[in-house]
Amino acid sequence: MSPVNTVGEVLDAVRRIKAGAAGFCTNLFPSPQKLQSWVDHNELFSEARDGATFFFKKDRDFWHLYFCAADLPGLQLAMNLVPQLTTEPVVADLVGVDAALGGLSSSLETAGFRRYAQLQRMSRAGPGDEAGRAVDDPTVFAEKHDRPAVLELIESLFDRYGEQLPMPYEIESAVDNHQVLAVKRDDTLAGILFFETQGLASAVRFWAVAEKFQSSGVGSALMRRYLQVHSDVRRFTLWVNANNQNAIRKYEHYRYAPDGLVDCILANGLIHP
Amino acid sequence: MKSIADILREIRPEFDFSASNDFLADGMLDSFDVVTLVSALDKNWGISIEGTDIVPENFKNLQAIEALLRKSGAKI
Repeated sequence: MSPVNTVGEVLDAVRRIKAGAAGFCTNLFPSPQKLQSWVDHNELFSEARDGATFFFKKDRDFWHLYFCAADLPGLQLAMNLVPQLTTEPVVADLVGVDAALGGLSSSLETAGFRRYAQLQRMSRAGPGDEAGRAVDDPTVFAEKHDRPAVLELIESLFDRYGEQLPMPYEIESAVDNHQVLAVKRDDTLAGILFFETQGLASAVRFWAVAEKFQSSGVGSALMRRYLQVHSDVRRFTLWVNANNQNAIRKYEHYRYAPDGLVDCILANGLIHP
Repeated sequence: MKSIADILREIRPEFDFSASNDFLADGMLDSFDVVTLVSALDKNWGISIEGTDIVPENFKNLQAIEALLRKSGAKI
């Protein structure tokens, strides 16, 4: 695998594959900022084959696979020529409307991947709740010294293979930019809500309450405050594990509803839950 | 035939697209919405937008989308 040194290398590779491709297929949809961040942190590598280019993004002890291919047969053929897909632990995300993912999913399954998990996107129209902040609101923005505990809480409650956990540098940046709301009890981090807001849209990335503080109002305080500080936002989204009915019910309580988009996560044989 | 504004409203009814000059920076469209938008534009104008034209600057605002449609052969 070759390290990717600039975002331009990624875009050039995608353009080369796209040119004249009738059945272009990809699972690479990151924002330019996210791509830049991966490059800056030396996390992105590539492998090119005829008719397809693969990008491997390092994450803890495994890789996320992204690809772009001229068509499905070309993708399938090229996957058989990339040894890392069988020698390294790899997961791949396929995002789209469920019914449209069948062909891509089959190609990956033929190459030895299996369905690992599924996330569903939920959204709600704004505005956020404009009601004033409650007098006894326990939420604060997480501070620099909270960073390790924020990461530890997320890593303890979410699946690293299936839920795109943030890297430590993302936590640093999010805390510094006031994107992590927190509730603390006796100097212990009881819960967090990590969000990303872009213009009139905002996404909850992680809403987590430590086990011993669950069912004590921590989660609802965080969500109420999140919606309150986003009173000018018009669209709220999040991704949730489709099997986590408890979380889905909670989001529905706050008027989120599935919007049809799913993220089907496939893993190769070296990934074990 | 629908207008560009009609199609954008169908995809994201919660936003006033006429009030923005940069749909992506304002959070009104994300990369998944762009894929949906391309498909709707293709269907509405009977064209096929080239993969190489699916870049953020072509979906920045109404004028950029209109220019993309013309370039792709749509009669607007």
